[in-house]
Amino acid sequence: MSIATSPSTVHHESAAPAPHPAGFLSTYVFSKDHKVIGLQFLFSTLVWFLIGGLLALAVRWQIAWPWSDVPVLGKLFAQEGGQMAPEFYTMLFTMHATVMIFLVIIPILAGAFGNFLIPLMIGADDMAFPTLNMLSYWFMWPAFIAFGASFFVEGGAASSGWTSYPTLSTNVASSPGSGWGQTLWLIGLTMVGVSSMLGSVNYMTTIILMRAPGMTMFRLPMTIWAMFITAVLQAFALPVLTAAGFMQLADRTLGTGFFSPEGNIVNNWMQATGGGQPLLWQHLFWFYSHPAVYIMILPAMGMVSDILTTFARKPLFGYRPMVYSIAGIAGLGFIVWGHHMFISGMNPALGITFMVSTMMIALPSAVKTFNWLGTIWGGRIQFTTAMLFALSFVSMFIIGGLSGIFMAATPVDIFIHDTYFIVAHFHYVLFAGTAMGVFAGIYYWFPKMFGRTMNEFWGKVHFFLTFLFMNGTFFTMHILGAVGFPRRLADAYHYETFHHLQPLNAFMTWCAIGMVATQIIFAANFFWSMFFGPVAGRNPWHSNTLEWTAPSPPGHGNFDFQPVVHRGPYEYSVPGVEKDHLMQTDPPNAAAAALAAAH
Amino acid sequence: MNRLTGIFWSLLFLAVPVLGVATFAVAPALDVWLPKDVSTHGAAIDGLFYFILALTGVVFVATEVMLFWFLWKYDAAKAAGPATYIHGSHTLEVVWTIIPAATLLFLAIYQMNTWADVKMRRPSMAPSVEVVARQFEWRLRYPGRDGTLGTGDDLFLVNDLHVPVDEDFLVQLKSMDVLHSFFLPNLRIKQDAVPGMKIPVWFKAKETGQFDIVCAELCGWGHYKMKGRVTVESRENFDRWLEAQYARQEATQPEADPSTAVARTE
Amino acid sequence: MTPVNNHSRPVVAIAVVAACLAFATGCGRTPPAYFRPNMVEATKQRLTPDQEKQVSTVLLAMFGTPDEPVCLPETGLDEAKLRLAAGPVRSDIVGRKNGLYREHCAHCHGVTGDALGPTAAFLNPYPRDYRPGVFKFKSTERADKPTRADLVRLLHNGVPGSSMPSFALLPPAQVDALVEYVKYLSMRGETELALMRAFFELDDDAGGKLPETREFLVDETLVPVAEKWKAAADAQIQVPPMPADIDLVASIAKGKELFHGDKANCVKCHGVTGLGDGQANDYDDWNKAIVEVRKELSSSAEQARGASTSGMSPDELAEHRAQLAWLDKFGRVLEGDALEPRTIPPRNLRHGIYRGGRRPLDLYYRIHAGINGAPMPAAKGTVPPEDIWHIVNYIRSLPYELDGELGADKPMLARDRF
Repeated sequence: MSIATSPSTVHHESAAPAPHPAGFLSTYVFSKDHKVIGLQFLFSTLVWFLIGGLLALAVRWQIAWPWSDVPVLGKLFAQEGGQMAPEFYTMLFTMHATVMIFLVIIPILAGAFGNFLIPLMIGADDMAFPTLNMLSYWFMWPAFIAFGASFFVEGGAASSGWTSYPTLSTNVASSPGSGWGQTLWLIGLTMVGVSSMLGSVNYMTTIILMRAPGMTMFRLPMTIWAMFITAVLQAFALPVLTAAGFMQLADRTLGTGFFSPEGNIVNNWMQATGGGQPLLWQHLFWFYSHPAVYIMILPAMGMVSDILTTFARKPLFGYRPMVYSIAGIAGLGFIVWGHHMFISGMNPALGITFMVSTMMIALPSAVKTFNWLGTIWGGRIQFTTAMLFALSFVSMFIIGGLSGIFMAATPVDIFIHDTYFIVAHFHYVLFAGTAMGVFAGIYYWFPKMFGRTMNEFWGKVHFFLTFLFMNGTFFTMHILGAVGFPRRLADAYHYETFHHLQPLNAFMTWCAIGMVATQIIFAANFFWSMFFGPVAGRNPWHSNTLEWTAPSPPGHGNFDFQPVVHRGPYEYSVPGVEKDHLMQTDPPNAAAAALAAAH
Repeated sequence: MNRLTGIFWSLLFLAVPVLGVATFAVAPALDVWLPKDVSTHGAAIDGLFYFILALTGVVFVATEVMLFWFLWKYDAAKAAGPATYIHGSHTLEVVWTIIPAATLLFLAIYQMNTWADVKMRRPSMAPSVEVVARQFEWRLRYPGRDGTLGTGDDLFLVNDLHVPVDEDFLVQLKSMDVLHSFFLPNLRIKQDAVPGMKIPVWFKAKETGQFDIVCAELCGWGHYKMKGRVTVESRENFDRWLEAQYARQEATQPEADPSTAVARTE
Repeated sequence: MTPVNNHSRPVVAIAVVAACLAFATGCGRTPPAYFRPNMVEATKQRLTPDQEKQVSTVLLAMFGTPDEPVCLPETGLDEAKLRLAAGPVRSDIVGRKNGLYREHCAHCHGVTGDALGPTAAFLNPYPRDYRPGVFKFKSTERADKPTRADLVRLLHNGVPGSSMPSFALLPPAQVDALVEYVKYLSMRGETELALMRAFFELDDDAGGKLPETREFLVDETLVPVAEKWKAAADAQIQVPPMPADIDLVASIAKGKELFHGDKANCVKCHGVTGLGDGQANDYDDWNKAIVEVRKELSSSAEQARGASTSGMSPDELAEHRAQLAWLDKFGRVLEGDALEPRTIPPRNLRHGIYRGGRRPLDLYYRIHAGINGAPMPAAKGTVPPEDIWHIVNYIRSLPYELDGELGADKPMLARDRF
């Protein structure tokens, strides 16, 4: 709702404050309200999180106890006594990664949190394009159906890795999953891409044009900066992936040869078309997928900044450096894609150039880490569940980021490429990093979303067990990688080099089982608290950003009256002010201003 | 929120650097560490690995301990008074930008030579063997007596690569069908085999022994099955082996003792 | 900050219930692996469910299960080796692997050795179905079994140009165990076929049941199968030596003449270019069996469905209905228990890839005895032995031959890819 004096440049048709009666479908299903859409994304992605986690457990089972009777899935292999077929294994890790990346992490960060928080944190009543917003959610559904159906088609779901390299992925004869499974995979990917692109256009426009009066760009909370730059990344990188996806689809269905060399004989079938290059796919794919990994962490970084400041009761250390770092990560992120291809057969001279840019991209991440440490230094730390998850993001991101330096070093990458060192690295940044950031965000903004707080005790139990089991599962992967233990192997123990590593893998699998089982506590807490948790007020955490001035949950139009912003975020423990947080909307405070001027 | 919870959580975060370092310290003793290196360029690669490990180890311990320390010291249940109201420090920003930047740049430049040695400075010699990766085996072709690949006296083998010790060895790597990757852990060699490309891989083995060849790029359901073996042996043994294999390949009579029929033809 | 929630107990309850549910779904272990009966043969022989059961029971007694093999002395097999190869993948003695067959072979060749493992349908060519007891690449005469050494060689070299890998890097004891188990599965399959076909020979007073005497089951059914295996070692092809001072150029020229000539008539299938583009629409025995069954089925189906039931007596009607039911059943069996038939292309001799091995000796064997189970005929009797050597020399020169009758489409030379 906006009052006539609002200087914001975008007006909505529904400027009238009167609530309009609406049926169930238009309120909860076909809603254009960004909050509802955000929750739709949240619930959908959490369901896929479960599916992706179960797929991971099946992968871990095979690694720990190869060719043994697999629980539940063994029924599919009754004749062999429950022993999974090797092509099934390749499908499992392919779909685990695909689901986690495209149906969980990317949509939950941008779709769930981005949607819910952006208008609230900038003081707008909704997104710039509510219908487009609704469409961006609904485009996820063809993707859910395509990926879900692919498990049941002949040959099974895609099985050439989430990276889908030709000619394994383009040639139907090369792998059972490269039939219908791969085609559906490409369709699903395109749908996710469209959804993301629609969202990114919306977010950029909203953030640039619909900020409340007084909300300058450098008064935006870090969450919004992160969402904004992520949206820019999406807009520039996704078209390349979509184009590559179409090219692969054409190779598979129309007989083109973008990625197929001449004279290819796969599974004793001679390929008809040729003249293409498998490496072309890799370049196109990684041109998107490297910025994608930043898409998958920057929003979490932003949220962590907001949560750390709230529970340290301190301003963010180095606001502008933090903003510039995010921009630096994003910008550099476009010129490092070749580090996924050092061993690929591309011109080795490019190994030098990409190595330099990759080394440099560690710098802004390091700067951010130091600034987070600076934020909690001198604070008054409250160990809430959200804070614990945010702190663990920092701690685990240090590990994930530092391990990246090993693979940036091209000679070392010769040895650790495609080993568990890489698997350790990306699970640390994506799970121990982003997923922890996501949990932090859920515990933190749950009161705003549902009007009730989650149970703190069980939240801490969830945190503690997840933290332990997660490190148990992933930390020793660094060591496995140092041995050279390769990725994607259904059974590595028949190699001399790896035959003594089964007990370690069994330990890691037990930790993984524990980790997934622990999420039951989270799910129980989440659903119970939604209906029966203690009612939260507007600002249970005494935070100072705009969303905490709105009701919990906010109604249609978000704010009771037009927010006007007088200061930046993170004004905690301001000297001369009685309460330990000054809301962004609080009127200017003379005493505080004088002290600020003296700083 | 009392002091005990603060202590508990701080100690949990302290466990990260403690257990992290402990894991890396204990692993070599348990033989879960870099495999034995028998190549001449391996020392440079391993040296770089250890250098980065030391560097990142120091940063890891320093930052994680700092995190623990701040959690311990600045627990709201412990510290009195309000938090320090500070928005940052320009000096600190400059320091902790310049120092990491310089370190990273140094690291980048320091390793360029090793990369060039392994991947860019090909020895000028004819290929010693052609390795064609295929779903799911390594097909080898030695050039035979005339020294040229692609003539009638080539020796065809599968999965059983022999290499003379202390000699430059050049592999011509191809793939028949999909991407594979020629990974020799003990020789610190890895190179993707790309269909449609002919990629040179070179090394010099400095110790005899038998080691694994592993496929390191997903190539289908049998990716785990692509086990090969590289045998590094003296030049005399290598020549003798080559002759014996060639004789077997050209056999016009069955083996005298079929129970020892371990001939590897093709 | 926020006080501990006294609504936490319900959270516990939900969590515990959810956990129990989660583990309950995983807690039913899969039953042990089992041998799949040869449904194509059983249906072809029109066996009743009781008869199928009888065959299964007899086989269980004679051969055991995939986890617990039984080894009758008449088979001549080594039980210790079978135990090493059988069962789920495990290690009952530290350092000794069991379940070798299931670890290395079952997912293509099937637990039953019927080439119906989960991966089989996606392979080209299909994996070997051991049950008919026919093996292609061996050193014995066409209709004979392979020797032990032949099977060991197959495991060592794999089958180049197919998905059968080389197992040369396995310890010899494990290779031995696998060879033994392949023979075991083959004997079991052949015994199953013999038993199923024996119903047809039964007298009316047998009541549709096979005699369950040792004399019938072992002496009359199993022993002939086992004897053929034992006789393999004596059926080795005697290969005359290739003259040491042979003029290779002349030999190749002579071989080329023979290749294109009428006696050997290689060009009929392998093509004048040697590319395998001659007659190429034949099937190997395993696929041919399915093709013929399908042909028979479709004509029977046409007949049966076209028949008008109006003028039928009750007996005829019952027969007609039984026939329709049998046709339906067979259709379903072919769907689930047989692979989609594929033609077998004659070998492209320009590639230099020889499935049975590339030694001159191997090529001699292929030409002399043909390939059992495949359309490649035996030259034994039509082509004298020294002439076979000439053909062998010609074939070995084909991948490297630059000029010659290649016609307009010169294939890419083997020296550039293989």
